[in-house]
Parts: sequence; structure tokens; C-alpha cells
Amino acid sequence: MMPRCRPVLEPRGVRVREHAADRVAAVHRCADVLEELGAVHPAYREAMLDREWAMSTYVGEGVAIPHGLDRSRALVRRDSLAVLRFPDGVEWDGATVTVCVAIAARGDGHVALLSALARILLDPLRAKGLREATDPAEIVGMLNAEDEP
Amino acid sequence: MIRTVLLAGRAGLHLRAASRIAVAAALLPAAVTVRTLDRPAVPADSVLALLSLGALCGTELILEAHGAGAAEALDSLADLFATDLDVAGA
Repeated sequence: MMPRCRPVLEPRGVRVREHAADRVAAVHRCADVLEELGAVHPAYREAMLDREWAMSTYVGEGVAIPHGLDRSRALVRRDSLAVLRFPDGVEWDGATVTVCVAIAARGDGHVALLSALARILLDPLRAKGLREATDPAEIVGMLNAEDEP
Repeated sequence: MIRTVLLAGRAGLHLRAASRIAVAAALLPAAVTVRTLDRPAVPADSVLALLSLGALCGTELILEAHGAGAAEALDSLADLFATDLDVAGA
């Protein structure tokens, strides 16, 4: 079993002023940032697009979590996260997404991050805070701080 | 009525698994809640609520339902949690 190291969000993985014409373009931007972080092999991009088409990664509250497939775990170089904020919104299979949390994970370390994110989104005030945050440090603080049980 | 089950999915309770379970839960004859030893009970028919549990493979899940259809509802959800949904055909 892979070690349960939790991917940590770093300020350089946060982009607060992104634009994308559609869902495909947004997933490409997510892949771009994961590549810039040195988190994934370039082929991870295709896996993210395949995963998105298999089933939307929209989780609610204006947030989607693009990620790869089970078979693309070998393409992850370093468990990492990226947060991309699309202030104008992106049409996402009937919903509107303003925040993408892109995930590159080999094991199950990202389940704790998903839990942290879900607890933020279940609280309408904090969900709004995450959607509207424009300071990378603030976003990093929200997601990393929520990691405690 | 309470039932305990260990999460079988090797990759933990991730988005696809949670989505599948939430859809199944919404169709059950009784409302089911799920909690872990660390996290309070949440409705099984909410994807975000299920993700908030942060359940890993082997995590003990405590399912609860009441009234008519409770036993049937608990049986079918317990089966889903006890199945590795990442395995082809599962």
C-alpha cells in the first residue's frame, strides 16, 4: 500500500485569476499547473480529461476536483494539489464552477484533503469564503488548516 | 437500527465511490446516516457529507436508519460500503 502522505497545498499551487472558455479548457489549465509544480508526467493530462468525461468531478457549491484515473497513478511524481479560481465561472455539465481543486495522488492521502474540502463546502459561509478568496495564502490556510480531525 | 461495516475500497471513500453510494442511498426506502469513530453522523445521500468523513480503506462505518424499510436500507448500503467499487464489474 502507498504511504498515506497527505498532499500539501503550497502558495505556488494557487492561481486566483484564471479564465477558461469551457470545462475542457479548465481541466487543461489544472493539468498545466500540476505540471508546473513538477507533480505529474505530461501524460497525466489525458487521464484527467478521460476521468472528467467518465463522470463530472463537480462536487457542489461551485467547486470541481479534476484528477486522474486509477490507472494513471504511476504518472504522479509527487502527491500534490493545485487550486485554480475562475472568477467568471466555467460551465460544468449544467453547474457553474468558480474553483477547481486539481489533485495528483498515488495513494489515498488525498482522502483527508477531500474531507477537509467537503467540510468547508458544507458550511455555506466558509464555502462562500473559499469561492471569493483572492489571496493565495488565505486559500492555503483554509485547506491546510481544515485537515485536523 | 444500527449496522457496522468496514470500508472495502482500497483507495478510500473518494468522489466516484461517494457519488455511487449517495445515489443508491437516495433510492432507499429509509433515510440512512453514516458516521465514523471520529466524525459525527451525516446523511448517506449527500456526496459532500460522505466525503467529509474522510474514510480510508478499513475505516469502521456506523450506519443507522429507523422505521419502515430500515433493515433493507442498511443491508443494501452496508453491501456497497463492503465492496471495493474500484474493481471492474463491482
